Amino acid sequence: MPEFDTDSDLIKEYKYGFFTDIETDTIPKGLNEEVIAMISGKKNEPVWMLEWRLKAYRRWLKMKSPRWAYLDYPEIDFQNIHYYSAPKQNVDSTELDPELMKTFERLGIPMNERDALSGVAMDVVFDSVSVGTTHKELLEEQGIIFCSISEAIQKHPELVKKYLGTVVPPGDNYYAALNSAVFTDGSFCYIPKGVTCPVELSTYFRINAADTGQFERTLIVCDDHATCSYLEGCTAPSRDTNQLHAAVVEIVALDHAEVKYSTVQNWYAGDKEGKGGIYNFVTKRGHCRGIKSKISWTQVEVGAAITWKYPGCVLEGDGSSGEFYSVAFTNNKMQADTGTKMIHLGKNTTSTIVSKGISAGQSSNNYRGLVRVYPGATHARNHSACDSLLIGRECSANTFPYIESEDDTAVLAHEATTSTISEEQLFYLKSRGISEEDAASMVVRGFCKDVFKHLPLEFSVEAVKLLEIKLEGSIG
Amino acid sequence: MPTLNLPLTDEPAVLGGFTETLLEHARKGEHALLQAKRTASYESYAHIPNPDRFHEEYRRMDPDLFKIDNFQRLDIPLEDIPYEEAEEDAHYDLIISVTPNGFCIQDRNGITADDAITVLPLQEAAQSRTTLLEQAMGSAMVAEEQRKFLDLNGAFWNVGFLIHVKKKAEIKGGILIRYHNDRPDSILLPRLVVVAEQESVFSIAEQFTSPDGVSTLCISGREFLLEAAADVKLVSLQGWGDQGIHIGEDWARVKRDARVNLFSMTVGGKVSKMTVGCDVCEPNANAYLGGVFFADRKQHFDQKTLQYHSAPDTYSNMLYKGAVKDEGYSVYQGIIRALKNCVGVDSYQTNNNLVLDPTARADSIPSLIIDADELACSHGATFGNIDEEQLYYLRSRGIPEGEARRMLVLGFFDEVIDRIPFENMRDHLHEVIARKFGAL
Repeated sequence: MPEFDTDSDLIKEYKYGFFTDIETDTIPKGLNEEVIAMISGKKNEPVWMLEWRLKAYRRWLKMKSPRWAYLDYPEIDFQNIHYYSAPKQNVDSTELDPELMKTFERLGIPMNERDALSGVAMDVVFDSVSVGTTHKELLEEQGIIFCSISEAIQKHPELVKKYLGTVVPPGDNYYAALNSAVFTDGSFCYIPKGVTCPVELSTYFRINAADTGQFERTLIVCDDHATCSYLEGCTAPSRDTNQLHAAVVEIVALDHAEVKYSTVQNWYAGDKEGKGGIYNFVTKRGHCRGIKSKISWTQVEVGAAITWKYPGCVLEGDGSSGEFYSVAFTNNKMQADTGTKMIHLGKNTTSTIVSKGISAGQSSNNYRGLVRVYPGATHARNHSACDSLLIGRECSANTFPYIESEDDTAVLAHEATTSTISEEQLFYLKSRGISEEDAASMVVRGFCKDVFKHLPLEFSVEAVKLLEIKLEGSIG
Repeated sequence: MPTLNLPLTDEPAVLGGFTETLLEHARKGEHALLQAKRTASYESYAHIPNPDRFHEEYRRMDPDLFKIDNFQRLDIPLEDIPYEEAEEDAHYDLIISVTPNGFCIQDRNGITADDAITVLPLQEAAQSRTTLLEQAMGSAMVAEEQRKFLDLNGAFWNVGFLIHVKKKAEIKGGILIRYHNDRPDSILLPRLVVVAEQESVFSIAEQFTSPDGVSTLCISGREFLLEAAADVKLVSLQGWGDQGIHIGEDWARVKRDARVNLFSMTVGGKVSKMTVGCDVCEPNANAYLGGVFFADRKQHFDQKTLQYHSAPDTYSNMLYKGAVKDEGYSVYQGIIRALKNCVGVDSYQTNNNLVLDPTARADSIPSLIIDADELACSHGATFGNIDEEQLYYLRSRGIPEGEARRMLVLGFFDEVIDRIPFENMRDHLHEVIARKFGAL
């Protein structure tokens, strides 16, 4: 896991802001059917996959970019993006490019198999391709498939065909359609019946090349009685121009399966004036297809210039449950419109939403969530709590919950608060000799505790540190 | 930051028969002030795009539910109609009664005898209170909001009153405004301008009725201007017959130390779309918005509240309680907005829903839009049926199930109803709710 050295000057800005100068294989800018065929060709994909992509592309052409979110950004020129960029690797060599290895060392990612202590199986996606997956043998023993999605399309086409696009169909929304047409890499995991995944599965995403977009596609399938925990991390170099990241993540949980998905999103957020940064337009959805299945989302969003992201759960199986725990932090000119969707379809389904938004600087932080109970989803239960914390006078925090109940046995409760760090809390801590900055940081940590406790241990430690770094200079 | 407002149209976007020709007709023979006000409203109305179910505001309220083309604006003559006393009138000091044939103002206790309290039709007020009306009319709404129907009402209102209460004056018994429309396929467009000067205290009750089976449309516009330390309460009861459609807009601007209470009771009619907005615009201003709605059969009620905090140290509290039964559908949408530098704001928003049948539907969208810090804003929303445990408790004390259920439903609404300043209104609401709940 990345180790943080808070004294370093680098970290106070954006620690991951460097970029790696390696030879890349990049296709020209622009988007058309030819480019899609080229991406598909590079990945040596079967014809059905190319057809699937083209169908999504034609769908996308007819769609309009969504403008309902409380976000302000210029039109994106989709023709001015490289849709594919990969580090040139010697195909025969199993060794990775030393420059690339150096990058991952700087990022603190345990790519080295000997680093067994970390207990995390990791897939690393660099720009458009997956550059390596660790712990493969250990996982294979149990019958777990964990590889890049490109590899899965080659090796396990039946599984990919069966599940891809069944949770987030290509026409779901504008960015999901775009992703379906041009997705380049991402992870695929399949946990067979009755298997509890022995290690944490993890994917690390990094955007390196300039003017590229990253379009990752992740598909996680947990068969009956299987469980797994999946982590995701992301960084990008500091550049003046905005880069687009439009991912789709699909999770399928069958009978009694449990999936825990955690993200620490730390894309480059742009500088103080709001120049540059990643546009993070992501569709993530879990489908509790089986009875008593469970999907849990935990996200810590501290980066990206603009975040548009609503990880949700479709609770179809009877007795299934969905959880969403989120901390979203915005600073400077960042904008976030994030939340969740809980769709209750099955009987006795439950969902929990805990969302904590912190806005500082001139940023705007929005929670937007939907809880929908369909007729026949008897005895659905939901509890949502959304709290916002404002630091400074120029930021804004907005809450837009949508609650729709069509069943008389549903019990739903929503509560939200917006407040600031109170003078009394600060005074209490300061009177005990704690500096103002530390005191504020303690209050913030306490505010986020409900979410952090759901993260896997290493991530939890990382998240706390990350938040502290991000808070620096915004208090007092 | 993006707003929910739509881009204005170049070509006039008119609804039904509400065209420039009708505007000329409405303006005919009127005082120049009213003519100017109508024209200004028309200009604004005509450039706001027509409602469309793809707009956020109408996503849960298809504009096809209130096809304006099928209705015609009433020409309410400026004539006195005979006053018909109703039993409840004894509770009030002054009664205004409006029907398609005209209206009457019955001052039972002589409250308007001196100059302190004025109740006048707008046409007369334009003659005798020109300056006051010029300043007041159309000034309560928050400028950045696009309200097509409020502007429509401003351009085409067919009956309107000014209630002006001078400094430190008080109305003990309150004012009742009774609207009754029995003319099929007609549109009633009532306008109400309320000006409460410093430290004045009074309450207004409104009732809307129509016979069952008669299809009517009402587009109402009400505005309240509260000067320092004024205290005004409004209770509006929509008791339309089963074919009534109501689109209403209430706006209040509340100054220093003043307090407004706006109660919106929606129980009757087929379709209702109410918007209640308040701007607490000076320190220590306070607004309370209370709502009761009960949608049964195929009733469709849409409620929207806006709590604007445009000054520091302002307060607002909102409590909307609703029940849905049969195929009833209710929508509650609320926004708390604290503008930049409005510190010390304390604002609350609660929406509780009773979903009594599996075929009924309730939606709730309570939003917070906050651009300031050092404040406390919160909201809560709940959904559920009658609590089985509470029911068991009552039954174990020998109360029959039907009675116990009725008690629980009435108790649910009482949190709002208890705050209504008119006893007869409270009793009436209890009766209506019990009747609607009836068969269960």
